[in-house]
Amino acid sequence: MGKFLLLAFRNVFRNRRRTIMTLIMVGGGVAGLLLVGGFFARMFWGLREQTINDGLGHIQIFTAEHFNREEKHVLDTGIENWGQIAATVSTGGHVRGIAPRIEFNGMLSNGVKSGVFMGSAVDPVAESSLGFTPRLAAGRDLDTKQGGEIEALIGAGVAHSMNVKPGDGLTLLAVTADGALNGIDVEIVGVVNTGFKEMDDRYLRITLPSAQRLLQSDRVTNLVVGLDNTDNTDQVAARLAPQLNGLPQQLVLKKWIDLAAYYKQVRSLFSTIFVFLGAIVFFMVLMSSVNTLLMAMFERTREIGTMLAMGTPRSWIMALFVLEATLLGVLGAIVGVAGGNLIGFLLNHAGLHLPPPPGTTSPMLFQVLHVPSLMIGSSILVIVSLAMAAILPAIRASRLQIAEALAHV
Amino acid sequence: MNESSGLIQVEAVSRRFPLDHSYVNALDNVNLRVAAGEFLAIAGPSGSGKSTLLNLIGCIDKPTSGRILIDGVDTSTLTSAPMTALRRRKIGFVFQTFNLIPVFTAAENVEFPLLVQGIGARERRERVADALESVGLSARARHRPDLLSGGERQRVAVARAIVHRPALVLADEPTANLDTLNATQLIDLMRDLNQRLGLTFLFSTHDARLLEHTPRIVRLTDGRVTSDTHNAETPGAAIPPFQIPSEGASHGQISALSL
Repeated sequence: MGKFLLLAFRNVFRNRRRTIMTLIMVGGGVAGLLLVGGFFARMFWGLREQTINDGLGHIQIFTAEHFNREEKHVLDTGIENWGQIAATVSTGGHVRGIAPRIEFNGMLSNGVKSGVFMGSAVDPVAESSLGFTPRLAAGRDLDTKQGGEIEALIGAGVAHSMNVKPGDGLTLLAVTADGALNGIDVEIVGVVNTGFKEMDDRYLRITLPSAQRLLQSDRVTNLVVGLDNTDNTDQVAARLAPQLNGLPQQLVLKKWIDLAAYYKQVRSLFSTIFVFLGAIVFFMVLMSSVNTLLMAMFERTREIGTMLAMGTPRSWIMALFVLEATLLGVLGAIVGVAGGNLIGFLLNHAGLHLPPPPGTTSPMLFQVLHVPSLMIGSSILVIVSLAMAAILPAIRASRLQIAEALAHV
Repeated sequence: MNESSGLIQVEAVSRRFPLDHSYVNALDNVNLRVAAGEFLAIAGPSGSGKSTLLNLIGCIDKPTSGRILIDGVDTSTLTSAPMTALRRRKIGFVFQTFNLIPVFTAAENVEFPLLVQGIGARERRERVADALESVGLSARARHRPDLLSGGERQRVAVARAIVHRPALVLADEPTANLDTLNATQLIDLMRDLNQRLGLTFLFSTHDARLLEHTPRIVRLTDGRVTSDTHNAETPGAAIPPFQIPSEGASHGQISALSL
């Protein structure tokens, strides 16, 4: 077996120029996949962190009822005694902070025109401590000071349709937890651009005490938990789940991935694109390698005839060609992984920027992640591709008529 | 082996090749019997059917009609796998163009038939050393074919053909690509191996230098045996042991090959 492997290895380097060209082609395919895959991985990472830091958090805690039924009254599926729960949750490691929120709906009016809103009530201090800051198009964020006018942020679409700007006032109307209609006046302190037009056309944000006053309830819709590192999400979620079991209200926790529908859509789309690219590389390597290996087989016709004449089983000849192609694939993968990582390293240090992604204004720094699973996957892809490319030449070689092969010039 | 029937029996063998819409008779009703230990030349001009006959005896081609028995085995009844096994065990080949594996060293080339037979590493090493010594190329064992002269390459090919102790060595125009000196040395080597080790050599040639040393010559013309002569006066019967040329290490007289 050792000699057989040696023969295959030496045959790989028999025609060095052709081998180098093949290695460049195979390595180029692997490097291309690593760069594209590494860029996508960096993009996924960026989108993940952006999604989490835009306010999704790493874990959110709801009542079980929140997912089981529609609310009869506002916040009747909300969390009671949320302060106590927040204190319990925050005692464990990796928890950076907890932000309570109320999600509610209602109507708003500027005195002339009315519209509906989707409201979000937050604790600005808690939000800020977790790094959840609204994307302001104008004005400022909510203030934490008590007293004075009730402050509100509105979406850019709301500001446009209501023809208001920071400093103007609006009246909010909502149904309270008791089913009564309640209203408050708010002062617009900022205009938010969420990046999604449908959201901007309905968005309103006030402080938690303001919403509790409007809705006449001290419950919250959910608690948003921020962690020190996204990679700790599963670990913390596993720890929190039993802690939430013994409470009077049945609570459930959702990890960020369960709630990040947009992230999952983007990831799914780009993963499909990557699979498509992988398939293209696979077939490019396959087809060009078939040609190269057929050429090699043709050149070695007499040698194969000699080996067959000496009683070498035809299966050995097949195995030899497949082994040679596999070795070529392994070498190509090594070249590709080394080259891809080197190019990725250079690109990462070149400071290249891409145009701003949708919903953002700043250019995106071009970065490529070095992903071990991608290196292994791409390598396996080209190795399998080359081994498959060898099948046809191997079959043809093993079926050569010995007398004709020996007479081959 | 059945002594009375000989090592090789060629019985009414014909071989026809298609040519455009017709065919050409490369061999036509050939009969031949070769006993073990013979040193036999198949002579004839180009296109007379020498190589075809060797291919058929070597089990790398099949006759259109007739049958060939090797060591009592009717090769016409064999399927591919037993035929391959028969070649592997019983036949050694020497080709006109040497046909060494270029990426292997001389020793590795000689080792290849043993590798195919599944012989263990230690025994392979010993047999390769013996075979190379018997052709006077021990000092060139680690050289690749492109670093060997034509004569040396053919001697490696002979070592490869005998290393697995075959019943029969077939050589197709073995001296055609060699100059006179190397051709003479190769002839002497083959004759010596034949006489000393009792190996049966069957070769095709139209090289007069080789025919001079051949005790039995079968002549083919247009695919038919036209003569089968035995020459008791062959100088080969009394040729001295093979002398190794002075290149490389001094080997002097060929050593005994423990086949």
